[in-house]
Amino acid sequence: MSEAPTDTAAAEGPARTDGGTVTASDAGGSGTALERLVELSKRESVVVIGSAIALLALPVLLIDVLGFVSTLLFGSTKLAGYEGLSALVLAFAIAVIGFDILLGYTELLSFGHAAFFGVAAYTAGIVSTQVSANPLVMVFIGIVVTAPLAVVIGFLSIRRSGVYFAVLTLTFGQMLYFYALGPGAWLTGGANGLTDLQADPLFGFALSDTLQDIYFDMTGSLLLDVPFARLSVEYLLLAAFTLAAIWLAYRIINSPYGLILSAIGENEQRVDFVGLDVFRYKLMAFVISAMFAGAGGALFAVHERIAGIYPGTLYWITSGDFVIMAVLGGTGSIAGPFLGALVFEYISNVVSSLSFVLFTGPLKGIFGEFTLNFGSIWRLVLGGVFVLVVAKFPDGIRGAISSAVEAADGRLTGSGGGGSAADSEVDVDPDPEPETDGGATERPASRDEETGGERR
Amino acid sequence: MTLLQTEGLTKRFGGLVAVDHVDLGIERGETRAIIGPNGAGKSTCINLITGLLEPTEGTVTFDSEDITHLEPYETVQRGMAKSFQTASIFPSMTVEENVKIAAFAAEHGSFQLNFLRDREKFPAVNAVVDEMLGAVQLSDSRDLEVGSLPYGDKRRLEIAIALAAEPELLLMDEPTAGMSPEETQSTVDLVEDLQEELGLTIVLVEHDMEIIFRVADRITVLNRGSVIAEGSPDEVQGDPQVQEAYLGGVEL
Ligand SMILES: Nc1ncnc2c1ncn2[C@@H]1O[C@H](COP(=O)(O)OP(=O)(O)OP(=O)(O)O)[C@@H](O)[C@H]1O
Ligand SMILES: [Mg+2]
Repeated sequence: MSEAPTDTAAAEGPARTDGGTVTASDAGGSGTALERLVELSKRESVVVIGSAIALLALPVLLIDVLGFVSTLLFGSTKLAGYEGLSALVLAFAIAVIGFDILLGYTELLSFGHAAFFGVAAYTAGIVSTQVSANPLVMVFIGIVVTAPLAVVIGFLSIRRSGVYFAVLTLTFGQMLYFYALGPGAWLTGGANGLTDLQADPLFGFALSDTLQDIYFDMTGSLLLDVPFARLSVEYLLLAAFTLAAIWLAYRIINSPYGLILSAIGENEQRVDFVGLDVFRYKLMAFVISAMFAGAGGALFAVHERIAGIYPGTLYWITSGDFVIMAVLGGTGSIAGPFLGALVFEYISNVVSSLSFVLFTGPLKGIFGEFTLNFGSIWRLVLGGVFVLVVAKFPDGIRGAISSAVEAADGRLTGSGGGGSAADSEVDVDPDPEPETDGGATERPASRDEETGGERR
Repeated sequence: MTLLQTEGLTKRFGGLVAVDHVDLGIERGETRAIIGPNGAGKSTCINLITGLLEPTEGTVTFDSEDITHLEPYETVQRGMAKSFQTASIFPSMTVEENVKIAAFAAEHGSFQLNFLRDREKFPAVNAVVDEMLGAVQLSDSRDLEVGSLPYGDKRRLEIAIALAAEPELLLMDEPTAGMSPEETQSTVDLVEDLQEELGLTIVLVEHDMEIIFRVADRITVLNRGSVIAEGSPDEVQGDPQVQEAYLGGVEL
């Protein structure tokens, strides 16, 4: 096996196993410091604990960190998020994490997930006035109601694929939207929305209470004014559900189920031909993703309990927003949908409220004062961000971040300084023995590929 | 004992009769070659048996059960597996994952709700994967991404996936198509091993007469959708109709 194909660029370094070209990520368990870190970040305990920390840090990032940066740049905190934004991000993140099980893994593009988000939101709202205003009951019933709805819509849509599936789901979503707007107004309040939602305290604490308030009530003294003290009970409720959603998604993705769903996404016919019931797997993926959307919708209702629930939650644009969030963040992962929801909601809520006074100073004398208002054009801003990110990084923001990290790591190790570089040199090599069988093939891997199947 | 029986199996595509009243009886343990010129209906015939296509007329019986109207996943669950004419695999997954999917299907049936358990923690499945990768000599490539494999390895992976379904009957549609002579040789060796070690019943569509003479017990000759001859390799080779339709062509 001495002759190694040298035509491919990848054939440098340790890539001398026979036949197949070895990609950098194949280097087994050990590797560079970065690879070890990536390996570590796939562990369940690391994912859960890391997510918990990130969830607690999110409001601090949105309000304090961005506020600080904004003050440096503009002298005001206009780029900072606000208290409610973090909760809003989480409600959508839960929905999109589930949506991505369908889009990123099973490769089914649903254009109707607003149906589940909206129905759960309305259900939670109605439950709060008619059944129980316990937020947990609201959310629980909201989720449960989406399951049978998803079975019906999924059953009728999944037999079709591609565009037909997308349009069918879109149609069902729109049917529910128009129902909520017109005939169902007795239930939903129609265009006036479902208002006067109730929400009881959770375990004795009002949803709007912050940790600071609770501490004060109990001890009569104030906590230090640290950012964490500002976290509200509502936010903690949403964070707990988000953590549960992340954990569940992690479990699903790493179960046999996750493997089979990815396989369906890649080659549906082959999955059929190994003896698996593709339809039922797709239907289950659809129902699971709908229940995530339901959880997001019900929590959205809890968050919007004062403003109310409007038919827009069922509208196709909401479905489209899920698609945008998933693709913007990066499909086929858990972090991607989360990042997508974060950036989307940030642009739609913070950037939209921005205004800049142009032409200050001497220019003002020439052009007069002109204020650039982002309000109604936030979708344009979003679209620009979307195009820039997705055109360059098919894996969205997540892909952009990981290639930035890789580039930084490459520069670090490349410059040959520090222990991590030394590590990588020792560790990359340890599978030096090329396989000895691997078929009698002695040819470069890039040979005839798929087209070679035809007889010659 | 007959494992697979088709009776009057017919498939029309519009006006074209691709498969025309084919009666095929495959005995348990035999290796049957199906040959015929291009467009004779060989692949269509296989597709009718596996349930990918719905027959226009006729029946398919497997292990004394009528499977004419079953879906592919159901026929696979009953014990038949197919390797495709062009490698049908999961290109962005690893070799191991490719086989594992089939192993899950064999161990757990066509659908199961185990979506919270780590997929590494199924010893029976892992055992099947190890065995099949060993059988097709791909154990050392198990962590490679399949899209980057040489063509011959892809085809053998294809066979491993079919085997991981733990079939009684293996249908192979031109398993050596597009392979180099060495790859062909190792694939034929593999088929012989399967016959001996697993006692598999094999239906093989193949153009290469040398291979057919080495591995086939009986040959069925299709031409324009109909069976024009059937028998041992020697009988078939001597048949004047076959000479006319097939062996007389440029193929040999
Ligand atoms: N889905 C289809 N729709 C219409 N015609 C088809 C279809 N599939 C096959 N045919 C036709 O049926 C006939 C038999 O095709 P088939 O693929 O079964 O031949 P084959 O014996 O496998 O040939 P080859 O040796 O080229 O693989 C051909 O004339 C083909 O064009
Ligand atoms: Mg064919």
